[in-house]
Amino acid sequence: MLNKRYIVKKPYKLKQADHVLQEADTRPAGKFDVIIVGAGPAGSTAAYFMAQQGLHVLLLERGPYPGAKSCGGASIIAEHTHKLFPNFWDELQWERMVTDQSFWWMTKDSVLSTRFQSKRLSAAPYNRFTIKRVHLYKWLAQKAIAAGAILENSHHVSELLFNGNQAIGVKTSEPQNKYYLADIIVLADGANSLLAEKANLIQRVSPLNMSLYVKETIVLPSVTIEERFNLSPGEGAIIGLYGYPTAGINGTASIQTFKDSISLNVGMSVASFAQSGNKPYELLERLKRHPYIQPLLMDGDVKEYGSALIPEGGYHAIPKLVHPGVMLIGDAASLVNGVHGINLAMWSGYFSAEAAFAAKIARDFSEKKLHLYQTLLNESFVMQDLKANADVAQMQINIPYLFDLYTRMANETAFQIAKVYTMPKLAKRKFILQKLISMQPIGKLIKDGWRVLRVMIR
Amino acid sequence: MSTLQEKIDSIHFAPDNSWQHVIISEQNICKDCQEKPCLTICPTAVFLWNYAESVPIKVLYKQCVECGACRLACPHNNIEFLYPHGGYGVMYTEEFNLFSE
Repeated sequence: MLNKRYIVKKPYKLKQADHVLQEADTRPAGKFDVIIVGAGPAGSTAAYFMAQQGLHVLLLERGPYPGAKSCGGASIIAEHTHKLFPNFWDELQWERMVTDQSFWWMTKDSVLSTRFQSKRLSAAPYNRFTIKRVHLYKWLAQKAIAAGAILENSHHVSELLFNGNQAIGVKTSEPQNKYYLADIIVLADGANSLLAEKANLIQRVSPLNMSLYVKETIVLPSVTIEERFNLSPGEGAIIGLYGYPTAGINGTASIQTFKDSISLNVGMSVASFAQSGNKPYELLERLKRHPYIQPLLMDGDVKEYGSALIPEGGYHAIPKLVHPGVMLIGDAASLVNGVHGINLAMWSGYFSAEAAFAAKIARDFSEKKLHLYQTLLNESFVMQDLKANADVAQMQINIPYLFDLYTRMANETAFQIAKVYTMPKLAKRKFILQKLISMQPIGKLIKDGWRVLRVMIR
Repeated sequence: MSTLQEKIDSIHFAPDNSWQHVIISEQNICKDCQEKPCLTICPTAVFLWNYAESVPIKVLYKQCVECGACRLACPHNNIEFLYPHGGYGVMYTEEFNLFSE
């Protein structure tokens, strides 16, 4: 046992010998048209389209391979991805085609759910696929390389270099300790853009606008998954879970199905975690013990645990995206709308490539020229959709009991309707109404309804 | 069901023995901090304290999964979180076996 544990914990062998602190070599290691920091969905997409346009692109990834720093899987929208990468489903290894989208409103012992299953969702050009992040990231990076971009793994960018306020390059930390120069720097370094913050391009993100999610990948035979979720072979389900999972606080959880594993995640804002004192891994375990979740996971092995920050502040939390010689894309730009993150990231990469190309032709890398990126983003569905949902994040802060209370009221109503009493129907209806009003006074009910409606129809 | 230790054991790490990427800047500030959200928010319990006032909070940076929540959660802006150097730190490997090669 001890032996096995040792093997498991054995660190990944690195090519460099034990590195020694060395003086930085200030001679530039290379000059590029564009340096992209981070080989995620946004960075690799940007690298692909830039390289395709003939730009000399350097893609720097701090992990030993793209995808090393993100866990588990996600779902991607077929139509969007198809527009950027036609017929991607023939190239990218996807897991399941999503034909079942469900929402569960949970209390400690009940579930009120809505479920939509349709064969129409599995017809070309398809709707959603579940994918493993590592497959997507590697595939995108390989596409970028094939198009001519240079990918350097295990390169951590520690700071941006400026000439006045114009960005002119980046410095990587140990063990390379090198300087790279470029006309344009694209920051695709994820939700925690420490680089942009360090360079004073953006402000420190508020803990209200950043959510922490923990996730577990649980391995089960694919036949078992299809039985438990009532799926045809190759089809998948995504279930959004509300109420119970976040223990009385606004937040979400979800179940996603993959070929031979399912993932369960739960999360809420960093501020909520800090205030409530909930431990993320205990919330996850608590959810796994729920009487209607437990049977779905039974006999499954936990393969990997992980966590991530997701910028969920919405439209109002988006920082200034274009600076002299710098563009922010993907999560670094806080481009996340509800469950859509990867797709928006890829689009932002595409738009930044358009702007970089225009800047390169004009030989003008000023903020004004690069502003084309912002314009394209504003005119696209990306910003329009973010704008439409702009007040959702604030609503969740303003009505802290939103998910918990109304989930419990909905479940109570469903219970009373389902339960058979020896009382006349009219009396029963009155009884249910009284029960609900005892949980939330009618005035507040109407007020909250109005507040939610106003956010939704704006 | 799995314990926290089992969860941490399910993740691969390439720990950097010569550089710590997450530190508490000033331990004295922590003494006056009532909430100490770092002790609860970390998904892999990197911050460890035995509730003895004379003992500083330990930072087990080698099991950090680099989410960066601690930095934002600290009410005194007292946690200096940076990413590990290139090639080090957490490595999600779920989809292939590193040791088969």
